[in-house]
Amino acid sequence: MSWTVLRASLWQRRTSLAWYVSGLLFYSWIMVWYWPNIGGEEYQKLVESLPPEMLKMLGGTQVSFGTIGGFFQIEYLGLMWMLIVFSAVFIYASRAFAGEIADGTMELTLAQPVSRVRVGASRVVGLVAISALLALATFGSIQAFGPAYGVKLGAEALWTLTALGTLFMLAAGGICMLISAAVRGGGKAGGIAAGIVALMWVSDFVANVSDVADFFGPVNLVSAWQPGVVMDGGQVKPEAWWLYGLVALLTLAGSVAVFSRRDAA
Amino acid sequence: MAGIIECVGLTKYYGKTRGVEGLSLEVPEGSVYGFLGPNGAGKTTTIRCLLGVLRPTAGEARLFGQRVTLDGSTLRRRVGYVPGEIRLFEKETGRWHIDYVAGLRGARPVASDDLIARLDFDPSRRVKELSKGNKQKLALILGLMHAPEVLILDEPTSGLDPLNQETVFSIIEERVRDGATVFLSSHVLSEVERICDRVGIIRQGRLAAEESVRDLLDKRLRELVVSFAEPVDAAFFDGVPGLANLEQRSPSTFVARVKGDHLDDVVKRLATKRVVDLSIQHASLEEVFMEFYRSEDSVEVTGGEAATPGSEGGEPR
Repeated sequence: MSWTVLRASLWQRRTSLAWYVSGLLFYSWIMVWYWPNIGGEEYQKLVESLPPEMLKMLGGTQVSFGTIGGFFQIEYLGLMWMLIVFSAVFIYASRAFAGEIADGTMELTLAQPVSRVRVGASRVVGLVAISALLALATFGSIQAFGPAYGVKLGAEALWTLTALGTLFMLAAGGICMLISAAVRGGGKAGGIAAGIVALMWVSDFVANVSDVADFFGPVNLVSAWQPGVVMDGGQVKPEAWWLYGLVALLTLAGSVAVFSRRDAA
Repeated sequence: MAGIIECVGLTKYYGKTRGVEGLSLEVPEGSVYGFLGPNGAGKTTTIRCLLGVLRPTAGEARLFGQRVTLDGSTLRRRVGYVPGEIRLFEKETGRWHIDYVAGLRGARPVASDDLIARLDFDPSRRVKELSKGNKQKLALILGLMHAPEVLILDEPTSGLDPLNQETVFSIIEERVRDGATVFLSSHVLSEVERICDRVGIIRQGRLAAEESVRDLLDKRLRELVVSFAEPVDAAFFDGVPGLANLEQRSPSTFVARVKGDHLDDVVKRLATKRVVDLSIQHASLEEVFMEFYRSEDSVEVTGGEAATPGSEGGEPR
């Protein structure tokens, strides 16, 4: 790995990262503040009055809507959070190879005595750092703001969610990075990756009421994302760790391998 | 001794589009090689193969006798590259780029301060605020600041004013005196004529000619202007070998080009009439170069009858 490439990669994203982290802090605070206002008996009654099919479509099969975990998953972590963090991760990953090749800045780097494997590995480490930062900003802020509003997130849950969230982002970001290593144009890489994840989300959403729509089955990254279960004191299924870990490992290693063998201009 | 820079049957296709094809050349240590050709001829493709940015479709590029691979980072430690149109990180400053490249090289940029001063460059400004010329200055600083053994320069004076071009030539000449080997891609022939020992001319992806600058100039074209004491018909020049582009400017004045070693034939024909004025000048390398891009059948005579087109001097071999 090259520290110079890693530092430069992160430095290039400093402004947008600052905005993303600020946005996550603000969104987390809003959700933490909102929970005591809406939670409790009335919210439970409201949720129970919804048709069961609707609850299923909203992901109610694995989390209970009346709990804090269910509330956070439905209102924040199940969709809006994914939109925020994946846009940050995809922008980074798509620029990591294809974007810089299209811009011509990759040529400046590769004209220097640094191997492609080191450049690629540095970009992967940058993705790990960004994913961890965004996950920590999300769950750390829920824990930090929580006590003032009666929302408790234990230390174990915090680290579990941070680790799982980081791996989730790495798996999705890895898909984008692999595409970025193979295609021309960062926009194309980000667009294809976003399309794949969106398809997973739709598939997961509809599959709750119809097995016909379950295109991705056990490898659907979105289906495995159940942070509400952890917030309610449950455990992450081992399959989720394996899925995220393997997808992240294979796609990120693959992206370095593909980048090492392609034309970079 | 093998060349410091070599291409052996180098071929690069972008899908079905040709970049270069079967290119072979060799640049000996300490020499300055001019790589000439119009836009799209394959100059930049060749350079990118030499740097390991592109993977050749066939053949190979070599530096210091070793094959260049996409991961040939150790070879690049000894090479400085100056692109003609550098792409930089727009939000960052010149100083940031200098530190970035120095970090990648893991070495102090020994000549950066000197280059900054000589090129009158302000490294504190962001790239997006720089003019094309100033970006080119930064490209030169980044490529030359580590005093590399080999300089690969892709149209290095592009966008610079004449004063800065002169400074760049001086810097390159100093580096050559210090033992650097230079590969200079250009379509500005005057700079090649000034600093290169040898020149390769690339046309449509193939090396059309390769020879020393001196030989190229000797083989050259000559511009002839002759005035006779009395009106002369253009048919007077019929059958003179090596005479081309004959133009009659007045009843007694003609302009023409003399190609190859046919000056003696031309002078002998002129001597059969009374000449009142005669000017014979060597054509510039640019005009010689243009001959490589002119097909034989396009040689024309204007304002008079066609003379026999020359068959040597400047034709692709």
